[in-house]
Amino acid sequence: MRKTLAILRREFNARVRTRAFVLSTILLPVMLVLFSVAPALLSRGVTRTEHVAVVDATGDSLGMNIVAVLTRERLSGDSTGTGAAIPRYALTRVPATMGTLQHVVDSLVAQTGIGRHDTAGDLDGVLMITDTTLRSGKLEYLGDNTSALEAMGALEGSVSRVLVLTRLERDGINSGAVMGAMVPADMTTVKVSDGKATGESGTASFILCYVMGFLLYLMIIIYGLQTLTSVIEEKTSRIMEVLVSSVRPFQMLVGKIFGVGLTGLLQMAIWGGTIYLVGNQRAMLARMIHVSPAAMQQLPIPSMSTSLLVIFLLYFVLGFLLYGALYAAIGSMFNSVREAQQVASFVQITIFLGFMSLFAVMKDPGGGLCTVLSFVPFFSPFIMPTRWSLTAVPGYQLAISLALSVVALFAVAWIAGRIYRTGMLMYGKKPSLLQALKWVTTK
Amino acid sequence: MTTAVSVERITKRFAGHTAVRDLSFAVPAGGIFGLLGPNGAGKSTTIRMIMDIIEPDEGRIALFGTATSSRDLSERVGFLPEERGLYREMKVLDHLTFLGEVKGLRSAEARTRAVKWLERLGLSDWSLKKVEDLSKGMQQKIQFAGTLIHDPDLVILDEPFSGLDPVNLQVMKDVVVEIARSGRTVLFSTHIMEQAERMCDRIVIIARGEKVVDGAVSEVKAGFGEHHIALTFAGNKEAASRILADRQLVAKVDDYGASAEVSLAAGASAQTLLATLVQANVELKRFEVVEPSLQSIFIAKVGDASHAPARAEAA
Repeated sequence: MRKTLAILRREFNARVRTRAFVLSTILLPVMLVLFSVAPALLSRGVTRTEHVAVVDATGDSLGMNIVAVLTRERLSGDSTGTGAAIPRYALTRVPATMGTLQHVVDSLVAQTGIGRHDTAGDLDGVLMITDTTLRSGKLEYLGDNTSALEAMGALEGSVSRVLVLTRLERDGINSGAVMGAMVPADMTTVKVSDGKATGESGTASFILCYVMGFLLYLMIIIYGLQTLTSVIEEKTSRIMEVLVSSVRPFQMLVGKIFGVGLTGLLQMAIWGGTIYLVGNQRAMLARMIHVSPAAMQQLPIPSMSTSLLVIFLLYFVLGFLLYGALYAAIGSMFNSVREAQQVASFVQITIFLGFMSLFAVMKDPGGGLCTVLSFVPFFSPFIMPTRWSLTAVPGYQLAISLALSVVALFAVAWIAGRIYRTGMLMYGKKPSLLQALKWVTTK
Repeated sequence: MTTAVSVERITKRFAGHTAVRDLSFAVPAGGIFGLLGPNGAGKSTTIRMIMDIIEPDEGRIALFGTATSSRDLSERVGFLPEERGLYREMKVLDHLTFLGEVKGLRSAEARTRAVKWLERLGLSDWSLKKVEDLSKGMQQKIQFAGTLIHDPDLVILDEPFSGLDPVNLQVMKDVVVEIARSGRTVLFSTHIMEQAERMCDRIVIIARGEKVVDGAVSEVKAGFGEHHIALTFAGNKEAASRILADRQLVAKVDDYGASAEVSLAAGASAQTLLATLVQANVELKRFEVVEPSLQSIFIAKVGDASHAPARAEAA
């Protein structure tokens, strides 16, 4: 046991202490957090009260109405936040006539967008309403934030609602009834599968499944090939000869696969943990950087339940060990990566099929095919976490799937151990698959 | 006398040929034991069977009197294979520690010993360097230290001195001799007879997978006869050559030009040879009845052995 641990520790250290591992492990979470936090941070500047002067040359109540409506507008970002909502606008109504309009506006524009808004007179913009506004809908906004499309859109929307209501009232139609009638449909899409609402939008859960599947696919291949390469290196450097006299081939195999697997698990845990954190703990993250959680919703990172994270990591471990043992056995049969490539590609194709079958699952996660595939050891690492995230998987099915994986793991480890035992000291000749099978059966 | 390694009638066949045939020998505890033979004689195959890396088709091997696999005795056995390597990317100290750990040492203990060994071999400054930065000689020293780091009772070295420069050779030889002096056992294989002659207490010579000589070095030499004469010529070499070619007097000549090692023919005596040489006016610088060198025993025996199977195959 101590010897196996020594090998495991060596494999783990040899990988984790490389610059490539550290960089790739840290880079993804940093980017993920950056992408989810950055928009919120950037939009923070816009979400403050804007100082707007309304130059009213309408000569009737329209200007008053607009000011009244705009005053009631609140910053939407804080609708879910704590504390009192912040007004979107701080308004100053400046009465004018069509004759003095231009003069008044000119004097206000002189105060616009210069200071840092620390004196009361500083303005973000000037809204100019004329006596033709009601009829033509034309009005003018002069400001330093005219390129902020969202802010302009909101302002225009508010004004046009006032215009509509005012016109309706002028024509003697009850504005309250119209307002009630005009509430638009606001549809939220929620993915429902097998009668279980996932609480996720369709896009988000698709992205989650895809990301999970792709990570599994990528990591199993990357770390599997690392196992294969390291076995071949041990053969060619002849360190194998030194080790084989004190360590059993099976101990070496187990130590190596677990060592490499632990490296992968560490990386996956950091990555999966980040997705979990960014997806599930958004509110906490938002508090940490002092932005509104709503602002962070912009990035469609789906929330990942704790149970899903655990199952995902569990199946990564099982999947990697299963494929890792195969890769190690293949590595032990050959003397160069190039020679091993041919046989390794069979394994790669299996992994690829597992990954591709994900798309079938996403289409019909409750279907019979998916249920069956989620029991098949070489595919279940891809299928089961996806099924779990999309539908309600009965506990016994999960148990069967896990049990079958473990049984397969022991079988593969036994076969791999026997191939490894003979292959690790074979040099020169390249064995055929048939010969390798003979190694398994001979004593 | 207890036995460190006993090999009983082992045979190993590979596809197409027999690498080791019905081989038996015993390595007594304590001292240096040489496993000699030409290239391809089956030395490495024998050692691999002793180390339980491959299993013999027939026969039994026991270490310290038990049939337990050498892997389970790895705390007591040190092994340096003929083809040896290291992890190139690892730091020197970490690597040596790791080699101690796989022998069964605890981490901390292995590290302490690794530090001591690096000091002893003058490699302390390299502790934190990567293995690939070391010269080949230094790497061999690390491998050597890795074999001995756990203070094994039995040390098995397969061609330990091949490829060493004279300075490193001396260092390694001193280490081996010291192990034997402390009462532990060293079994090493070589095809360089001068080394074996100077270091070994006992030897086995194998050729074509079969044993041809077995015993204490002094016995082997005595058993090979006292009819060996070392000659160094000062002049009239032509006359000497004629006399040495006389099969009535001389059975075999190992001619080095200015000197020669001669085996007398049956019935001939050293006295007669000397008289004949003097009569023929051969000027001699040296005429000495000597023990045969392992080299000459080796050539005589292995030469026989390499002919014998050829005849057997023809028959």
